[in-house]
Amino acid sequence: MVLSQRLHEAFKGTVERITGPRTVSAFKEKGVLSVSEFVIAGDNLVAKCPTWSWESGEPSKRKPYLPADKQLLITRNVPCLRRAASVEEEYEAAGGEILLDTEESEGWLATHGKPKETKSDEDENLPSMEALDINEQNCIQSIPSYFKSEEEEDIPDMADYEDPDNLVETDPATLQSTYLVAHEPDDDNILRTRTYDVSITYDKYYQTPRVWLTGYDESRMLLQPELVLEDVSQDHARKTVTIEDHPHLPGKHASVHPCRHGAVMKKIIDVLMSRGVEPEVDKYLFLFLKFVASVIPTIEYDYTMDFDLGSSSR
Amino acid sequence: MARIEEEKGSLLQFAPFQSAVDEGFWHRLSSLKLNKLGIDDSPLPITGFYAPCSHSQVSNHLTLLTDSLPADDNEQSVTPALGHGNRNRCSVPGIIYNTNTLEAYHAVDKKSLLKEEAKKIWEDILSGKAVEDSSVLSRFFLISFADLKKWSFHYWFAFPALVLDPPAKLVELKPAAQWFTSEEAESVSAACNEWRNSSLTSDVPFFLVIITSDAHATVRHLKDWEACQGDGQKVLFGFYDPCHLPNNPGWPLRNFLALICLRWNLQKFNFFCYRENRGFADLALSLVGEALVTVPQGWRDCQYVPNAVGWERNRGRSISRNVDLAKSMDPTRLAISAA
Repeated sequence: MVLSQRLHEAFKGTVERITGPRTVSAFKEKGVLSVSEFVIAGDNLVAKCPTWSWESGEPSKRKPYLPADKQLLITRNVPCLRRAASVEEEYEAAGGEILLDTEESEGWLATHGKPKETKSDEDENLPSMEALDINEQNCIQSIPSYFKSEEEEDIPDMADYEDPDNLVETDPATLQSTYLVAHEPDDDNILRTRTYDVSITYDKYYQTPRVWLTGYDESRMLLQPELVLEDVSQDHARKTVTIEDHPHLPGKHASVHPCRHGAVMKKIIDVLMSRGVEPEVDKYLFLFLKFVASVIPTIEYDYTMDFDLGSSSR
Repeated sequence: MARIEEEKGSLLQFAPFQSAVDEGFWHRLSSLKLNKLGIDDSPLPITGFYAPCSHSQVSNHLTLLTDSLPADDNEQSVTPALGHGNRNRCSVPGIIYNTNTLEAYHAVDKKSLLKEEAKKIWEDILSGKAVEDSSVLSRFFLISFADLKKWSFHYWFAFPALVLDPPAKLVELKPAAQWFTSEEAESVSAACNEWRNSSLTSDVPFFLVIITSDAHATVRHLKDWEACQGDGQKVLFGFYDPCHLPNNPGWPLRNFLALICLRWNLQKFNFFCYRENRGFADLALSLVGEALVTVPQGWRDCQYVPNAVGWERNRGRSISRNVDLAKSMDPTRLAISAA
């Protein structure tokens, strides 16, 4: 792991240990959530989008400031039919909307293809806070170095596990060899359907929700986190998506780094307020997930909101 | 050719259940093995979880999570009993046969083990236990070998299904939205959503759908079958279908058919494959079918146990699965990645 990232984690861990969780609401002022607001927003997400549920995670990793049965939000087996990278290429080629990732337009869309200057500015517009500097280069290095032992591993030869008893079950009522996954739109016979478990945790340091991704291939075998990056919008794959220990589940998982979540949420809230909509804190996660969808555009998790955002409409 | 097609069409074919094992399950199995079980390789009861299909393009799986196994410390966790009432985690009873060596793993007599497990389902159908607690109809098991030196896990699932001989025939199968009148469909959706939203019933995977002559639908427990007869009511046998395919019901219907024909002596009846979209009843995705079942010969003999199938196939082949978790479990590698 990159040194600056390690240092930052140590720092963040210490701060988290010695400071209490946020109790005063700063939702409108800073775009952040207190612990109780996170629970309120989570309850509302579970109620409106029942594919999400609260879980308690690993007992040993339980956070005392959250209710024991409401440690994280999770939705499992979410389909991801196409790789984000290939979708983006096509979209851009067609001159479609793309995410503008500059200081002025955080998280918003440009409708007329990718402006040239955004590309050239990319290095200046990295998502950095004082204590954290995940830059493009570091991220690219960190992933392969974590997985560099990949080649040493023998890929198990399937034939080794062929059943010696020759277990043949002839049963006409068993549906044979039909792909039980999505019908592929392309005809090159490469199965692209992946599924994801998407979880949301509360990041005490940044006081925002944080999204984690666990990917599976079409036969539901765990996907290497580096392959998960193929399903992340390419702008973010190089910047804001990192691979770290999950705060409530075992193993390393890809995560959208929360360092800018508060600022982006604040922008979204400001825009809503300028339109005369009074945002309510229990809708926070819907707004948040809508924003996260720009980072992971092809992972079809549910954040449907068929009701208005604010109180002015009710 | 046309005739073959026709014959194929009339045979009721079920999409096999698929397994999914969360990394956390293997972590807990390892710690149980190291801290508590030792070389004890007796079968261990576990809990699998599933939910109705919730997307038109992917099926749901029978999933094993950390909570599928008991915790290795004796501390009672604060969590309520095994996700009861969690609509995304309907509990299914299962067993893990974890062997101590790779040789023992390969030497497992798979045919007789499957037969043994299927017998439990058969007995639960005969005794009526399956009507009280329908989750036993989807009973599953897996054999495994946990190589704790290499953090590598070999495993193979089986979802035992009693074989009907002759196989069940399909009279018709169509999207529920087309089978019901629009009035009925609306009422069925509402009743199913209510069933799914109540913490008392949300994880009860088999049920009855009753539709009165004035198109009012209710969802009832299987044990209410007798009470639901008569008065020109339509009765459908519903189940949470993990499968997304438009022309095939999922695996849980298999043992349900056996229960229906044996318990209630029905030979022709309607079944309802309940599926969801974004967590709500989706009758365009759900199916209604009419099945024709003949009680196979011998099923009335008290000593008889029907044949069973159900070893999971991996990419269409009968092979064991293997997962390597050295990356997240090997202390040396963890230390290197942390350096």
